[in-house]
Amino acid sequence: MNVLIVEDEKALTTEMELFLSGNSYLCEVCYNGATASEKIATNLYDFILIDLGLPDYDGLDLLKEAKKYNPEAACIILTARAEVDDRIKGLDLGADDYLPKPFSLLELQSRMQAITRRKFGLKNSVVPLGEFNIDLTNRAILYRETVVSAITKKEFDLVAYMLLHKNRTLTRSQLSEHIWGSVVNDDYDSNYIDAHIKNIRKKLNVYASPDWLETVRGLGYRVNVNN
Amino acid sequence: MKLGTKLTLFNTISKLVIVVLFVLLLPVLIRDINRNYTDNWLRRQQDKVLRQVHTQGIQTFIKNGEGYGSYNALLKEEYVSLDIDSANDQIDTILNERRLVEGDTIQYRILSRNFKVGNQNYLLEIGRSIDTINETTTPLQNIAFEILLGMVLLTILADQVYSTYILRPLGRIIRTKLIGQKFPMRTPYRKVHTSTSDFEYLDISIHKMIQTIESTFQKEREFISNASHELMTPISILQSKIENMFGREDITDDVKERLLEMQRILNRLKSITKTLLLISQIENEQFLKEDKVNIAELLGEVYDEISIRLQQKNIQCNINVPPDLELPNANKFLLFNLFFNLINNAIKYNHENGEITINGSAEDKLYTVVITDTGIGISPEQLPHIFNRFKKFTKSLQQDSFGLGLPIVKSIADFHNIRIEVQSEPGKGSTFKLFFPTEPVKKK
Repeated sequence: MNVLIVEDEKALTTEMELFLSGNSYLCEVCYNGATASEKIATNLYDFILIDLGLPDYDGLDLLKEAKKYNPEAACIILTARAEVDDRIKGLDLGADDYLPKPFSLLELQSRMQAITRRKFGLKNSVVPLGEFNIDLTNRAILYRETVVSAITKKEFDLVAYMLLHKNRTLTRSQLSEHIWGSVVNDDYDSNYIDAHIKNIRKKLNVYASPDWLETVRGLGYRVNVNN
Repeated sequence: MKLGTKLTLFNTISKLVIVVLFVLLLPVLIRDINRNYTDNWLRRQQDKVLRQVHTQGIQTFIKNGEGYGSYNALLKEEYVSLDIDSANDQIDTILNERRLVEGDTIQYRILSRNFKVGNQNYLLEIGRSIDTINETTTPLQNIAFEILLGMVLLTILADQVYSTYILRPLGRIIRTKLIGQKFPMRTPYRKVHTSTSDFEYLDISIHKMIQTIESTFQKEREFISNASHELMTPISILQSKIENMFGREDITDDVKERLLEMQRILNRLKSITKTLLLISQIENEQFLKEDKVNIAELLGEVYDEISIRLQQKNIQCNINVPPDLELPNANKFLLFNLFFNLINNAIKYNHENGEITINGSAEDKLYTVVITDTGIGISPEQLPHIFNRFKKFTKSLQQDSFGLGLPIVKSIADFHNIRIEVQSEPGKGSTFKLFFPTEPVKKK
């Protein structure tokens, strides 16, 4: 998939490009609005990631242009100015998602994945995982044909997030950020993830051993998928 | 003492002093007036007598060397006597003297004057009894005293009314401009109506002071907002770099552990910055209050979010909130964070196997939510400061907070005009009472 990254912070674009390329996205980078405007008018993209705080351009104008010349592209607004009405304006103008800085690259990929599923209708949204099936559309874990009903929304979120970033160790902070990112509270180092993982294992063990869910000692957790 | 009372008191006392002085002086004054009047009267009588002597001749009055005398027969108030004067020196006096009239000694005011007719000296005496003179003194004194008293009372009353009227703007300035002012001020400057320039000056000065405070507040908020915004991009870059490095296969676990440590610390920085930004956004009123929030449902969502923390410490959480009440004009995201932080604190500062009770009630149009925990409590010295930013008193059982939980709660509560009352007993637990300003509506 083709991704256009419009972001004036070079150090950040380098990392975004590195990460997205590693996840088989084809990236193009613009450091200012003028070049981005040209590229949007001439090329077709699947994703356009727009930083609202460009030095030469109002990011929202760029969004309008994107909607005009690249109507199929999914636009995600990235911004450090997390003004409340920016968000509303952006979504009103047709942005598909809004990711305030500082964001995690894993979160960015997760959002892009969600948009893909929603927008491009990803056919195979049931992913086999060991003896279980993960139904990403209906957000459920299945054992053969039975839904593992004991799994809560949060627990499913964790499994789906780790599945999306399969074979990669996710730290507790990364997992916390994903499931508690929108809550503003004054804990910065919680080990509630461990409790969640323990619960997930306990609930799945009733059916079969979730041996694909690995604890990486001292680092975090990972979901292993061999294919 | 109130200024109005002071003014009235001063007015009353000063007037009373004047009245007392006047009353003390009154007898003397009246005696003087009477004496002048009497003396004038005596002189007029004297002139009359002298004229008669001149026209009718002295013989009419003095026959065969016998003096003339006349007085009011019964009361002896006045008398006139004309006699041959043996002495030669000139007499023309008005004096108080005693006279014996028909066996009564009576005090008279007597005009004595001698004059010559031919070669003979005559002495004229006209007298008026002192009692007669003083007869008018007492009623005069009384009338004067009564009029004066009436006037004094009237002016005191007028003073009272006027000073109350003139001091009214002062009370209004204090009530509307100073008492219970919260910053940022949401009401625009409204002039207090007064014709007294001093109060106008006071009003304007207070307004200027408020503006200074406002702009200082504004600057502080802008600074926090800008600073946290500016920090977002660098944090974002660092976070991405760490994430990319962490994903690499060719680094050792030892390096990974150190990256993890960096990530944890960066997360802490991120949380602080995000929280500060949130507080500044709330204070800058960047949130809308357009949601209808069902508190029972909201608490349910918070419970879902937080249940893992309850489980971990085996804390019982009982929620008793009327299920069908909705709060209008609220911001759901903010209220969620308010309850999340309060309940999170109730967990954090609770003992294992503790208890949290959340009771909601709507009585007398007042909606309250009370959150009680069985935790370690807050000491009385710390209680007034718990809403201050970055204040950490009690080290929580797991030391992973930076002291912005309650400031968030306070900002959100202020934004919604929710009053918070905190009661706590160290060792027993704390109670946070939230009083909502708006009456909840029954959900249809």
